[in-house]
Amino acid sequence: MQDYQVVIVGGGATGVGVLRDLSMRGISALLLEQGDLAHGTSSRFHGLLHSGARYAVKDPLSAAECISENIILKKIAAHCISDTGGWFVQSEEDDPDYVEQWLRGCANAGIPLREISLSEAYWKEPLLKRNILRVFEVPDATVDGFKLVWANAKSAKRYGGDYKTYHRVERLILENKRIVGVAAKNLLNQEELLIGCQVVVNAGGAWASEIAGSIGVHLDVICDKGTLLAFNQRLFQRVINRLHPPSDGDIFVPHETITILGTTSEIVGSPRENQPKEEEIRRLLMMGEELLPKIMERRVIRAFAGVRPLHREDSEVSGKMDEGREVSRNFALIDHEIHDQVQGLISIVGGKFTTYRLMAEKVADWVAKRFGNLRPCSTAQEKLLSEISEDLKKQALQLLPCAAAEKMLERLGEDAGAVLLEIQNDPSKGQMLCECEMVSVAEVEKVALDADAHHLADIRRKTRLGMGTCQGAFCTYRALPLLGLEHAKFDPLQDELKRFINQRWKGIRPILWGQQLRETELTRAIYTSILQLNGIRDI
Amino acid sequence: MWDGIIIGGGLAGLLAGIRAAERGKKVLIVSEGVGSLTYSSGVIDLGDAERLMNQKSHPYALLGERVVRSAAEYFQTLFPDYWGNWREPQFVLTPLGSPRKAGLIPRGLNTQALSETHKIILMALEGMKDFFPEVAKSNLLKAYPQAEVVLHPFRVEAFEAWYTLGKPITGMDCGKYWRTASGIETLKGVWKSLDSFEPDKAVVIFPGLTSVFSQPLREVQSNLPFSVIEMTAFPPSDGGYYLYRGLVQKFKALGGELLVGSGVKKVELKGKQCHKIIVNSKGKDSEFSARVFVLATGGIFGGGIEVTLEAAKEMVFGLPPFVPSGWTNSEFLGEQPYARMGVETDNQLRPIDSASKEVLLENVRIIGRMLAHWDPWVERCGGGVSLASGWFAGEQV
Repeated sequence: MQDYQVVIVGGGATGVGVLRDLSMRGISALLLEQGDLAHGTSSRFHGLLHSGARYAVKDPLSAAECISENIILKKIAAHCISDTGGWFVQSEEDDPDYVEQWLRGCANAGIPLREISLSEAYWKEPLLKRNILRVFEVPDATVDGFKLVWANAKSAKRYGGDYKTYHRVERLILENKRIVGVAAKNLLNQEELLIGCQVVVNAGGAWASEIAGSIGVHLDVICDKGTLLAFNQRLFQRVINRLHPPSDGDIFVPHETITILGTTSEIVGSPRENQPKEEEIRRLLMMGEELLPKIMERRVIRAFAGVRPLHREDSEVSGKMDEGREVSRNFALIDHEIHDQVQGLISIVGGKFTTYRLMAEKVADWVAKRFGNLRPCSTAQEKLLSEISEDLKKQALQLLPCAAAEKMLERLGEDAGAVLLEIQNDPSKGQMLCECEMVSVAEVEKVALDADAHHLADIRRKTRLGMGTCQGAFCTYRALPLLGLEHAKFDPLQDELKRFINQRWKGIRPILWGQQLRETELTRAIYTSILQLNGIRDI
Repeated sequence: MWDGIIIGGGLAGLLAGIRAAERGKKVLIVSEGVGSLTYSSGVIDLGDAERLMNQKSHPYALLGERVVRSAAEYFQTLFPDYWGNWREPQFVLTPLGSPRKAGLIPRGLNTQALSETHKIILMALEGMKDFFPEVAKSNLLKAYPQAEVVLHPFRVEAFEAWYTLGKPITGMDCGKYWRTASGIETLKGVWKSLDSFEPDKAVVIFPGLTSVFSQPLREVQSNLPFSVIEMTAFPPSDGGYYLYRGLVQKFKALGGELLVGSGVKKVELKGKQCHKIIVNSKGKDSEFSARVFVLATGGIFGGGIEVTLEAAKEMVFGLPPFVPSGWTNSEFLGEQPYARMGVETDNQLRPIDSASKEVLLENVRIIGRMLAHWDPWVERCGGGVSLASGWFAGEQV
């Protein structure tokens, strides 16, 4: 058994951010994640990199944090971000007083903005509703949650950080009310393992209270479910927000060839309650129509929901500063020595994806101080991805279609070299396995062989396989022989396929009308009739 | 004035047209698309007909055994290349190499020989898209444990340009090539190259080869000392395409008129009769009148029924479809209630009001996927319902 100074529980953005920060400071750390990295809230959101403008009125501190992190992330994680810019759109129904408040809020938080003329607005976004009064541009952007989380994990690894996926922390081990280790279970083979450590960082997000609960420590995390819809095309070129107090269904975020409309907000009992409901979808569409007319005629390919972990104090008025609690009202750092007399356990709760790096920095500062480590945080300066050489870029463009080449380089960075070599040796490996998202056979093969790919869904999160408009109808079949490459690792093929199809189905079920229903009939025809996966054995 | 106008040119519509034309009727088929036969490798699934005939409201129950049987037999007289009968299921290989039940099948797909052989040679043309030799081999081993399975990869000069470019050879490319004169010559060479495998003791499986409706290919094969078994393909499939083409040729040979790429824009009704449809074709509107109209627009997948968040709508006559109370289940490959949506009819296939059972349009017949209360995918009777209802409508025109 290997020991570490720190064990981090939870492989979302915050967890991997902490892993990277600690590893860069030379503190040995292991991250344990019960599923795949970014399987939870860090990938189940609209993918908006906030400029802070959304919080300019209600939550000035949050707004200020967002704009400063927005600038940092655009520098260090450029390959995960598409700097689309964002608009705040005031329509006839929106309160003009609010607009004045908002403009002051943005100025106070230091969020740069520019008013756009209506003629320019309609020219640049022709689908926008025609009853708008004013439009303001802010530095909103879009971010790929999967990519950002994996980039953090890989960067951490280069500094000696470790992570294990599909490992669930069963309990925290205490000696005289001091953390001495954790007991975890490998969910793939059910093996128990014990890991010694002096500090545990609870970055479990919506699961954080369950983790603290394993040693009887009470931690209040409010599970706030947000449902989102994905449309099959890029409806807008930039993020479109409604200029009114933040509400449901008032943000459109374009990603590559799709658009996401979000979100709703509903308190739920557990992070597992992430099934979108019909009434939420109706509400989203109704609100979305305020920005995009005839929204019902657009094709929705998927609904999904994430559970935001809000800290109790989020809902209170004050930002009172307890000892051991960090300053922000948006996220809270809880030192359980002060609250629960448990030494070496710190929980980080609340926060936003946009501020994950800042949260990680605060946690790492606390941990470093504890170990007497004086090295300062450098995560805001160093890029996540090492520079890709010009030669590699050139080679990629020679072997793959332009868009496919660029996307692959963004996903794999320097690791793309191995994929390109494969394609060079066997041109058929350059064929697109996923035609919607342009993922080559060689790339999927490489990812399938990664030590941390255990399910088809893990490959999906790393490559976007099955996330395009066909929602897996064709590429699921095409990924099948790749799973056979390592017999021991993947479940029997047909079970694996069924699981993957059912996961895709979960997000399609609630939006089953129009063209998506038609597509679903094709998918059913392929898997139940042509392939007969629900098969027969009676010969 | 036409005797019958069929709206929709898939399997059901074409069969109705052929039957009516054969009976000397003047028939027009108006179709937006080309049906969905290219998805199915030309296999006609009949399902468990005896059970389905006893399933309340199922189209088989509505039409009865005589119609189901006659339709299947009629199809086989049209296409003697098809094997099987309506009571006994045949087995064909899925693209994954597992056997599956089917009703009427192109002869080349018949897997009977596999159950008896001790050696299977699986031909694997290099670079073939959507065919996975290793997966097929492992599934064949599971299904036929008495046999050894030898994988035989091979290349064909005609596809060298494909190999150099890394371009996938689709099933359609393959099927087309083997039917050409040079393809047949190459094929003879391929058979020769098997000599060292003692093929006379083996059964050869040949994905990408489709002999249905090809006299020269069947001749080459009948002279071989071993059986050759073809496979169904991942869509699009050339086998389905050839069946579509075969149906169209039959229909036209019988004097039928086919208008493809034309959607019905409007219908004109008088009381409970439809007397005219207005069709948009090549940018202009044309009017057609007929004594009988047959609706074969393919349900949800074919575009004959459109569903919004609010309602489901039949697109030509505006008939109210039957909408099941449940909508979906969590197991994707299982029963999905929505799939049983469709237009309810009397046993003459005339549309009826769900509640009062009153006939809504007296000279309109509903066929194929437009009918309510069945699911081609879980019941595996897609071809059967289309044949039976199409044949029946063809008799009524």
